[in-house]
Amino acid sequence: MNKYTDVLIIGAGLSGLMAAAKAAELGKKVTLVAKGMGAVGLSSGCIDLWGYNLEDPNQVCQDPLAEIARLCAVNPQHPYARVQDVLEESLLFFRRVCQENGNPYLDHRGGNWLLPTALGTLRPTYLAPASMAVGDLQQVRGVLVVGFRELKDFYPDVLAANLKKSGVLQADCPLNTLMVCAGGGELTPNTLAHRLENPAVVDRIVDQIKPHLLPGAVLLLPPVLGERWDSQVAKNLAEKLGHPVYEVANIPPALPGQRLQQMLLHHVKGQGVEVVIGCTVNGARVADKRCTEVLATGAGKPIKISAKTVILATGSFLGGGLESKPGKAWESIFRLPVEIGHEKWSARDFLSMAGHLFNQMGIKVNEHLRPVDKTGEVIIENVMVTGANLAGCNHPIEKCGNGVAVASGYKAGKLAGEVGE
Amino acid sequence: METDKVQVVVIGGGATGTGILRDLALRGIPAVLVEQGDLAHGTSSRFHGLLHSGARYAVKDKEAARECIEENMILRRIAPNCVELTGGLFVQLPEDDPQYADRWITACAEAGINCEEIDVQELIKKNPVLSPNVTRAFKVPDCAVDGFRILWGNVNSARRYGARVLTYHRVSAIHQSNGRVTGVELINQLNGQKRSVECEMVINAAGPWGGEVAAMAGLEVNVIKDKGTLVAYNHRLMSMVVNRLRPPGDGDIFVPHGTITILGTTSTTVDNPGCTKPGHNEVLELIKIGQEMVPELESYRLIRAFAGVRPLYQENSAAGGRSVTRNFALLDHRQRDGLAGMVSIVGGKFTTFRLMAEKTVDLVASQLGVNAPCRTAREPLTAPVSEELLERGKKVFGVPGAKKAAERLGDSFAQVVEQAEKNPDKGRIFCECEVVSLAEIEHAAHSGDSFTLGDIRRKTRMGMGTCQGTFCSYRILGALSGYPQFAGNHREYLTKFLQKRWKGMRPVLWGQQLREAQLSTGIYCTLFAMERMR
Amino acid sequence: MSSDHRLALDNCIKCSICVSHCPVARVTDKFAGPKQNGPDLERFRLEEPAAVHPSIGYCTNCKGCDVVCPSGVAVSAMNCRARGEYVSLHGAPLRDKILARVDRMGRAARLAPSLVNRLAGLRPLRLLAEKMLGISAAMTMPRYAKKTFLELYKPKNIGDTGRKVLYYPGCYVNYNAPEVGLALAEVLAHNNIRVEVEQFDCCGLPLIANGLLDTARDQAKKNLAKLQGYINRGYDIVTTCPSCHLTLRQEYRELFQLNTDPLHEKMLDVFEYLSVLLQQGKLVTRFEELPLQVGYHQPCHLKAAGCGVPSREILQLIPGLRVADLDAGCCGLAGTYGFKKEKYAISQAIGRNVFNAVKELGVRQVISECGMCQLQIHHLTGVAVYHPLQVLAQACGPGKWLAK
Repeated sequence: MNKYTDVLIIGAGLSGLMAAAKAAELGKKVTLVAKGMGAVGLSSGCIDLWGYNLEDPNQVCQDPLAEIARLCAVNPQHPYARVQDVLEESLLFFRRVCQENGNPYLDHRGGNWLLPTALGTLRPTYLAPASMAVGDLQQVRGVLVVGFRELKDFYPDVLAANLKKSGVLQADCPLNTLMVCAGGGELTPNTLAHRLENPAVVDRIVDQIKPHLLPGAVLLLPPVLGERWDSQVAKNLAEKLGHPVYEVANIPPALPGQRLQQMLLHHVKGQGVEVVIGCTVNGARVADKRCTEVLATGAGKPIKISAKTVILATGSFLGGGLESKPGKAWESIFRLPVEIGHEKWSARDFLSMAGHLFNQMGIKVNEHLRPVDKTGEVIIENVMVTGANLAGCNHPIEKCGNGVAVASGYKAGKLAGEVGE
Repeated sequence: METDKVQVVVIGGGATGTGILRDLALRGIPAVLVEQGDLAHGTSSRFHGLLHSGARYAVKDKEAARECIEENMILRRIAPNCVELTGGLFVQLPEDDPQYADRWITACAEAGINCEEIDVQELIKKNPVLSPNVTRAFKVPDCAVDGFRILWGNVNSARRYGARVLTYHRVSAIHQSNGRVTGVELINQLNGQKRSVECEMVINAAGPWGGEVAAMAGLEVNVIKDKGTLVAYNHRLMSMVVNRLRPPGDGDIFVPHGTITILGTTSTTVDNPGCTKPGHNEVLELIKIGQEMVPELESYRLIRAFAGVRPLYQENSAAGGRSVTRNFALLDHRQRDGLAGMVSIVGGKFTTFRLMAEKTVDLVASQLGVNAPCRTAREPLTAPVSEELLERGKKVFGVPGAKKAAERLGDSFAQVVEQAEKNPDKGRIFCECEVVSLAEIEHAAHSGDSFTLGDIRRKTRMGMGTCQGTFCSYRILGALSGYPQFAGNHREYLTKFLQKRWKGMRPVLWGQQLREAQLSTGIYCTLFAMERMR
Repeated sequence: MSSDHRLALDNCIKCSICVSHCPVARVTDKFAGPKQNGPDLERFRLEEPAAVHPSIGYCTNCKGCDVVCPSGVAVSAMNCRARGEYVSLHGAPLRDKILARVDRMGRAARLAPSLVNRLAGLRPLRLLAEKMLGISAAMTMPRYAKKTFLELYKPKNIGDTGRKVLYYPGCYVNYNAPEVGLALAEVLAHNNIRVEVEQFDCCGLPLIANGLLDTARDQAKKNLAKLQGYINRGYDIVTTCPSCHLTLRQEYRELFQLNTDPLHEKMLDVFEYLSVLLQQGKLVTRFEELPLQVGYHQPCHLKAAGCGVPSREILQLIPGLRVADLDAGCCGLAGTYGFKKEKYAISQAIGRNVFNAVKELGVRQVISECGMCQLQIHHLTGVAVYHPLQVLAQACGPGKWLAK
């Protein structure tokens, strides 16, 4: 079977969906194919731009955009250096799409939010969905951490103990924990989120929480408040309690990342993008530095797809965009080179502040996001590379993965939109 | 300083030490076992988990082979929940010396090891991962054995007869007076407190640390520390133990172990008895050799590598490696060095631990003037779990969950089932890869012997499956945060646990396991920012 | 276990994406989820085949797990094999054995279809069936046609275009919805293509979904041999049921290790077939105006085929027709699943999103390729539901394919 399209995007993660949204907006015929759901569904659901100061990596960065500008000067190999021109524009675009779909993402006066996690740690992030955007924790007059008996992945006591240790709260700020029951059983976060869409269940939760509320307290809950991206569960719960209610980031499955992914999928489908998940691209034909055809399979059946522009948004090793064997790593569709360096792929300490080399591996690109070889020569002219596929980004430590994805996806979509008939 | 008095102190919480403790207890000799870490943190949990039939040693060392087959049969009888009756294979490849096979067959017969030639075509049909080039294949009574369960079986059995165990206690001195050992001094590794134990007899069963322990008594015992690296595959590659039919070498044993398969081993002499860092190159070497028997080995997923230190003994030699005998030696220091009240048991292998214990305690008992005979070969380690209880277990934990828990827990399984029956929340599976329930994890936390998440891991297998603790460690930390030993510093407990898992994953970071590592750093760094946690 | 299966098992990194997208696990805690039932327990099944979670019966076999898995793990195949193992150990209830034989039910109903339809609407009888057999009294039963498709279909004499097409109608079209098969013939006739038909066995999907793998395997072998015969004689095979299609092409390979490679090239969904004609410039694109707005529901098994929505491009050619994607996930019926008493509520809860989407879009007609999805959407919303072919046939000529 053959398909023809203007822009083919491979990958359903954040950067692929951003590329699809932008290219479709520019009037292109867009097809997005993906082997499975992208890793954005496993993420916090927030857009981390840049977490810490370049000089002092333990200090939370107060002005991520300015810090990224400095970063691009000192580290021109960083993916941000390729997308700096569209960074702010891409964030505005992202926020507009979210707003239009009823899932507004909020910034923190241009700085970083410092949001609590289920472990009680604090993570800096630039944009957060309204349900997660806890204001300044230093200012709050009380915190109540609420867990659900049905969940095995959220422990209010752990969150509270470590939040206290973090020193972010005022010394006399009351910090309490509470377990509530949403009807019993063992539930996955998704099942619980589904259950909470029932107002009667929310009322029952409200009754259990109310006796424990101290004046001025902020409530922290696991990320299960509502299924869809436009869910009103968090808002309703807050209104009924008369207290602000927030979700904290937690290990997958967690709803905020999934909601972001579902929202973007819904959005691009509404824009006319043909989305095919479960379609695995295994290879491509390239002639005269142009990709003429992409070779895929759906449930074992071969499919050939031709496109003017191909956007490679297949992720890193985790997403399947990169593959590896002992001492070897390569890009899985075009066999683009992945530089592995001479150092060890991983650091001795799992939680090394320097991070691990394997998280920084990827494909080198030029300012048009075209893959380049060691000499800077473009390898394939009608292919662009985005997101976690890009080399040189130490995202777990820098806290910039989703930011790079938004900006690079947007830029690829924009450039694809400019390709003539 | 706390002072204690007991007739015998056993140093070393490995198979031999716990075997000795049980033997002493069964003969009515009051004893305490001291171990610097958790039970089995050393060699006894760092081997391929093969209960030898003896066939591997048949040609080179008939005596060792005979001991193996005898002990093999005894352990099947007394510890059925610790032994998986897989059966073993010896396969010959075209490049192997065909005459060796003939010598081997004769040697097996002489040692009393049942070996039966089987149809190669039939074998490959049943085990399609094996090389189609196999020329001959033989069935032997090898099996898989769970070292940790055996150790706990020994300890629990010994405790029923009044023996005591002090884990996380390191021996800091061995006291002597007038050519006699009078006691030992211990340091609690968790809180630094010292205590001393007065005794008539010290048994040095410290495995690779045997030389160090002997030195504390001013003695010289030459233990050669031979590091062996092993790897664990993500799934059960074959249904039987597979050996290569040739003189023993590296990378020629595959042992299916429940959900995983272990391939081993390498052999390198090291200085430090605690050197258990598996090497990346050793792993690649193992795969290369293993590929001869399992051609597609490279494409199967490794979940981790690990290493153990074999304590080999040679009275007057510094040589190491495969040339050194795998036999054990019992050193009576009264006779050898003029120090009464101390014996060392060195060398040997897991399969014959019970025999080593028996010989040791025979000597000790005679010196103490005790006549009671050894009973360890007859009395079972644990009572079998009844069918009715297993059925109840299946209702709360599912089929594999109940079966595995029953094998691990033995006598305590009933308690764990009751917990889950009373409160269904406790029946929740916390380690989804290895299907370990909260009830079992809490049982381990309750036991009084669990001080770290690692201790619970060894008792339950939590965190030992595909995801290597990525998902369950956070969950388990949360569930146990009410226990005093886990209430303190979450960062430290979690970091230590993840770091231990990391040590095993690092040498195998490619393919799927690299993806797993990326997911893991995604959770603990990207999502939890744990690298900066206070 | 084949080498492919072993590698697929090793691919799982436990990321839980399958869990978070499972439509059943979303609405109930009775199902332990695709990960636990699939790749988690599969590692244990290599040692102990009985290591199957009793909740396996709650899997609808929608294959959503396969689609969303970013690691290429054949989750649903593991679940199907596990269910087969469970049923072979514990047996299947009589109800499941009846429901799984949709072909036999269809043949039996042929004797007196109107009577069967009337009886299926009788409340006391349905309550009795619920009590005695566990077949939900609340679910709408599929209506049997007065005559089967094979009885109704008369091949027309059409000028030879050199194209040979064999149609695999599947049980639902044959016994319940012959109009879909007739629409197919109409559309192909519009393009001067004659359609051959043949008596096939049921593809076996209802058997597979109820864990009765041995019978399914026998039927698979027979069907595949017949199909291969036609392929050898130069036929293209077209299907209209996405579930039959997926079963023939994928399940036969995954579950029964049969070689389905020839089907990948030669068996096409009817809209794929038409797309090929379109690409070759050979599709007759003379369509009458159809001023309609319809909602489109993509069946799970079409999604699982991983090739998009084949009807999308063709329907765009019909003047006046507007198709709005419901984009609401699984409808919840899942073949025989939603007819089971203990699963009816789950099935309806899953389908709630489809109901909401139909209401939100305000459409009066919905199209969907799968007969069971059609039934469920009608049951949920009351709107008329058609196969896209019926819409296309309507645009081809004067016949009456859609009710007003």
